[in-house]
Amino acid sequence: MEAITRSKVSKTRLLPQVRKLAPPLGQQAFRHTIQAGFALFILFVTVQHVLAGENAATTVPSPEAYCPLGGLETLYRYVTSGGKFVPHAHLSNLVLLAAVFLTAILARSAFCGWVCPLGFLQDMAGGFSGFIQKRIPLVEQAVKGLKSRWAPLAVIDRPLRLLKYGVLAWAVGGAALYTNMVFRDYDPWAALINITEISIRPGLFVLGILILASFFVQRPWCRYACPLGAVSGLMGWLSPVRVKREASLCKSCAVCSKACPMGLPVHKANTVTSPDCTGCLECVAACPRKGALELKVEMPVAGIRKHQ
Amino acid sequence: MRLNVFVYGVLVLAIFMGTIFTARAAGYWSTSGRITSSGEAVTLTGADVDEIKGWMTLGDVAAAYGVPEQEILAAFKLPLETPPAKQLKELESDSFSATSLREWLKERLTR
Repeated sequence: MEAITRSKVSKTRLLPQVRKLAPPLGQQAFRHTIQAGFALFILFVTVQHVLAGENAATTVPSPEAYCPLGGLETLYRYVTSGGKFVPHAHLSNLVLLAAVFLTAILARSAFCGWVCPLGFLQDMAGGFSGFIQKRIPLVEQAVKGLKSRWAPLAVIDRPLRLLKYGVLAWAVGGAALYTNMVFRDYDPWAALINITEISIRPGLFVLGILILASFFVQRPWCRYACPLGAVSGLMGWLSPVRVKREASLCKSCAVCSKACPMGLPVHKANTVTSPDCTGCLECVAACPRKGALELKVEMPVAGIRKHQ
Repeated sequence: MRLNVFVYGVLVLAIFMGTIFTARAAGYWSTSGRITSSGEAVTLTGADVDEIKGWMTLGDVAAAYGVPEQEILAAFKLPLETPPAKQLKELESDSFSATSLREWLKERLTR
């Protein structure tokens, strides 16, 4: 009897300690904090560069020096010319590209889901859209109306996703052919970090369109046009890390698929092997059944044949 | 093997930042075309037109390649009174850019 009472007391006393061990941040809050950190760093570099001006006594790096896509655009020139760069590219771009590739090979396309500030910007625009819709019913109705009107366009979603490989070929091939960043004028990221240069370039329109589109479709740039995401996703195929669905526990409620910012049919796949997976793990966080959807480490390349 | 989401996040950060810090420690890092990875200022040697960058001045280019400034200005129909201290990117127009200057100089030097 005394033993039972002691046991009850010790359990009650232990409870607060157990609670303290719970993570202070949710999974997605943790990810957004990391994304925000990288975005703030780029904002700091951009402001510092603008304030210092072009003729500063000390060399203040341009935010373009921190873009891995610049590394991809200059890679061919760097290799074939024995260390030369295309304009606007530096060693830092190549190092960042290597970091993106290594991350993809070891941990899937996690750069896109955890680091990329443009991805974060789209996440924020999408989050803001959801926030507004929850509070203003009129906006919610309008968005729902537009979405249902555009529903037939879902058939072009899959072929449209191939567009990013075309953009990749254009950006990399053009830079190799013309020793110039031919994609730069159309790049929404370049337009954003150079926004203080009062010049109207196509990239500004692309940026405007993608922010607007983020209110209706999550991560439109990543889904359809990002050349860096395209190559990172392909490299991610080699990664031993992937989201796996336990069919015996899954009720196919499709909550995971609805949560996926890239619109992947997670609830239909046993292993998520799509190159579009950014490793954001929104699907894992959303899954209501413990153990039904988990991040697992397995032999690289295994399960590719089961793709979607 | 199951992987905790927080461990995965830390792993991503470690791989990404680890690559950058390793490269920096190895001296393989430069964020500006104005300084080399060893921290020395980049100057025009006149040996290769590919050295020309938009932040360089008209006077720098003219001196390094031994081509009069007036000849460059005339070739690109730029105002002849343009000061030599003007950066190339400040002179950019439909007919002039650092790239077009490189191509013109390459041709001019082989004449």
